[in-house]
Amino acid sequence: MPAALPDLQQYVGGDYGPFLAWDKVNAPMIRHWCEAMGDTNPIYTDIAAARDAGFEGLVAPPTMLMAWTMPGYGAARPPGSAAAESALGVLEHIEAAGYPGVVAVNCEQEYFQYLQEGDSLYYRSSCESISEEKTTAIGTGFFVTELASFYNQRDEAVGTQRFRVFKYRPRASESI
Amino acid sequence: MSSPDGISSPERISSPALSALCVGDSVPPLTIEITPRLIVAGAIASRDYQDVHHDKDAALALGSPDIFMNILTSNGLVGRYVTDWAGPGARLKKVSIVLGAPNFPGDVMTLSAEVSAVDVDSGEVELQVLGANALGAHVSGSVQLVLPTR
Repeated sequence: MPAALPDLQQYVGGDYGPFLAWDKVNAPMIRHWCEAMGDTNPIYTDIAAARDAGFEGLVAPPTMLMAWTMPGYGAARPPGSAAAESALGVLEHIEAAGYPGVVAVNCEQEYFQYLQEGDSLYYRSSCESISEEKTTAIGTGFFVTELASFYNQRDEAVGTQRFRVFKYRPRASESI
Repeated sequence: MSSPDGISSPERISSPALSALCVGDSVPPLTIEITPRLIVAGAIASRDYQDVHHDKDAALALGSPDIFMNILTSNGLVGRYVTDWAGPGARLKKVSIVLGAPNFPGDVMTLSAEVSAVDVDSGEVELQVLGANALGAHVSGSVQLVLPTR
């Protein structure tokens, strides 16, 4: 039998982190990304083109923002990262109450400055909101939004990412 | 022109002339063949090792007919599509996407966009972007960028 659903609003807010990047912003990872995306914008791979565009050197595609701080294959954070997991820890509590499904719904990234080769990133996160229980085409559950704020080695805010997931009980299982 | 991945690459042009840009103008569409190769390459480039993005058996076990593209790849493709059009002098400010139908191998996604706001003085431009596949809208949303003012 599922656990009782706790008061979810107690999980809104918080300040989790820092979560560090394994690697500094670097040309090989940028090139791998550009190959996969088919992105031929020369400011990511050609220093002369980047300088022509007003940068000091190579810059990363802005959409790589979260990629720099992903745990990766080892599913572990670099030393210096916070041990606690992120603001999405509330998903475990919702799941225990009988909502096994999860699907990402929105991703909203803002970029305050382009990341330069050599930049060292980390982010902090909070739980921005948890909706009331809602029913959609796929089931009944809760929309949970994490706000991740990214900083460089000078602690300058370089961007944010809002990531919204729907944690739900699938429609088909409702009659069981 | 088509790369080995089946991603068509339009000729790169310099930034569109800001003064000639109008709300309602469309951006030339871009078609992207969704292959296992692209899905896996995008997942690894974004350091996303969730099994549903590379392991078909794991995807089937979760009720999905195949592996499917991860969000960070969809986001990256939207960014690439916009800067293909906007040129190396453009600056991305915000990419906001809503996800719909998954991108499965064998499908084709067509990206299209329309100008929804232009500020000639600041160079700020907003686009509404849609990435549609055979199942419907895979990704939709808005992109804010700044074009060179001269």
